[in-house]
Amino acid sequence: MNATLYDVALTAYIVATAAALGYLLRRREGLSRLSILMTQLGWVCHTVALVLRAVERGRPPIATLPEVVSVIIWVAVLLELWAEWQYQVKVLGAFVLPVVLMLGLALPTGLRALITEPSIRSAWIWVHVILALLGLAALVLNFAGAVMYLLQERQLKAKRPGRVYYRLPSLETLDRFTFRTLTLGFPFLTAGLLLGALWAGAAWGSVFAFDPVAALSIAMWVVYAATLSGRALGAWRGRRAAYLAIAGFGTLLLMLGVGVLIQGRHGS
Amino acid sequence: MGTLFLAGLNHHTAPVEMREQLAADGDKVRQILVDLAGAGVLDEAMILATCNRVEICGVGPVPGEAWRAAFARLGAQHGVGLATIEPLLYAKTDDEAVLHVFRVAASLDSMILGEPQILGQVKDAFALAQSAGTVGPVLHALMSQAFGVAKKVRTETEVGRLAVSVSFAAVELARKIFGSLDGKAVLLMGAGEMSELAARHLIDQGAHPVYVANRTWSRAQDLARSFSGIAVRFEDALATMGLVDIVITSTAAPEPIVRALTVRQVLHARRERPLFFIDIAVPRNVEAGVNDLDNAFCYDIDDLRSVVEANLRERQREAHRALAIVEREVQRFGARLAELEVVPTIVSLRDKLEAIRRGELARALGRLPAADEETRRVMEALSQAIVNKVLHTPTVKLRDSSRAGHGARFVELVSEIFGLKGAGGQPEDRGR
Repeated sequence: MNATLYDVALTAYIVATAAALGYLLRRREGLSRLSILMTQLGWVCHTVALVLRAVERGRPPIATLPEVVSVIIWVAVLLELWAEWQYQVKVLGAFVLPVVLMLGLALPTGLRALITEPSIRSAWIWVHVILALLGLAALVLNFAGAVMYLLQERQLKAKRPGRVYYRLPSLETLDRFTFRTLTLGFPFLTAGLLLGALWAGAAWGSVFAFDPVAALSIAMWVVYAATLSGRALGAWRGRRAAYLAIAGFGTLLLMLGVGVLIQGRHGS
Repeated sequence: MGTLFLAGLNHHTAPVEMREQLAADGDKVRQILVDLAGAGVLDEAMILATCNRVEICGVGPVPGEAWRAAFARLGAQHGVGLATIEPLLYAKTDDEAVLHVFRVAASLDSMILGEPQILGQVKDAFALAQSAGTVGPVLHALMSQAFGVAKKVRTETEVGRLAVSVSFAAVELARKIFGSLDGKAVLLMGAGEMSELAARHLIDQGAHPVYVANRTWSRAQDLARSFSGIAVRFEDALATMGLVDIVITSTAAPEPIVRALTVRQVLHARRERPLFFIDIAVPRNVEAGVNDLDNAFCYDIDDLRSVVEANLRERQREAHRALAIVEREVQRFGARLAELEVVPTIVSLRDKLEAIRRGELARALGRLPAADEETRRVMEALSQAIVNKVLHTPTVKLRDSSRAGHGARFVELVSEIFGLKGAGGQPEDRGR
């Protein structure tokens, strides 16, 4: 039941992605509506799957890294639906959904994985995970905004407006969107990582404890912190901010990938 | 019911010399419409005469006769014979005519795709026909839907939205960079028709204040006054650049006056907020390297022209989408027209039953002089309820039959059974 629902959700996301990309190129209103509808359908199925899993295990569905990625997707999709409506950027789906899909498909085991139940659990860990994943979900949107910015900036610089040029919003809107999503995600990320570090220090006696996920998380945090402070100090906006957002997201993906593949302390 | 038709010539089929010969002022067109309707060759008609097209659209028993008569009259003004005009004409009937009318109104048949004037011209032509008394239910339904189609195409597609002039293209680019232009400051260096037009468009979109720099101080002051802006000495223009978001250059300087190095410093000073250069001068006033700087965008006159070309291609693509909308509307109009043919029958059936009801009610009440208010009210309601219930099924059946495409048969049947005079779409009923 659970696995089926997850597959249905993933399939709906696939259709939504295809429709969103189609809309970007062809601007058929029907495609936009289909994309939003399928995103909503996928999200509802996803929600039910997560709830069922939580009931089945008797704990929040965020105890293993694949579960956490699944919830990151879930939050990112919700944020995407909200932002698309809030900013009236109808093409946002075409940039967020592929990332969501990539994360979803990269989890072949997904929610079906029979991962041994984690042994050490405390309330602090749950808070650490929830804060971190909220931050990561916002950064998915940050990444999408950065890609859109770079695309639009390139079209404007090259002076050869292509189809995408007409669909994408203004540079100002995209720059603001990228900045907003970063300021939204960063506090959660910081609080989440800080809690994790404190807990690790208490439990293992060391913040890093030779865990690759923790090390990459710090690297990721540094990139995002640099982007924010660079912006606050003035000069780092537009293209430079977009490149940093992409670099940050690269580290984020690496961190998740390493976490899923390598049995560190986070892999349990 | 007569046949809906359209005939005419436009910029595709006829040279401008011919279109000029056929052009007619409002009074002349009204006269022709009145005469043709009086001669009985058509039931309804309107004539659209603009510099790009001359068309007649109407309803008549023999379309060919109607439009030939119309063009003979139009040609007669300047002694052009029908034989000369006829090879240039296109003629369409029914759905094809509807499609043509919708395409024209939605500006999909215009020389510049999506240009907005044509809708106003169609509206004027319709009003003229109304004043001539040659608009009946079919044209009324056709044109009111055509106006709706035009609006739909305008709001749902970009066919009329993308700039097709260089000065508008510059404004559009500014909007792609800055989003809203509200409160964005502009610096105008030099003068010239195109640069002033671009500045004017930017102001219309909310840009302010406008700084004007010119080598001739009095010219700068004049221009500044006309834009409600601020005049700046030409030597101070580069210093002013730090205060603005958009720079329009059109000076006669033989070599670039805005250097990349300067712009780099300006950008740094304004914390890398974007700067947009519109360089209308030839030779160019802004060094080519400026566009390579982060957050600086520079478009020269050739760049703006190529944007206009891209916009025209995009309008073409949008026109394809618009055509899909128009085709759906043609289908809908077909259904509406079919319904139009049964409406007179429904109305006269209702009138007839209502007359019977009133008569019988009056008679019955005449026999009950002592009836109180309550009784009268009950009898009134009773008679109305009976009439409504009797009418319900035939009304529904008539509407259904029209939608299914055999309305005429039902109209005939119902008229026969209820002895309705003049039903079946005869002219005296169609004026309602």
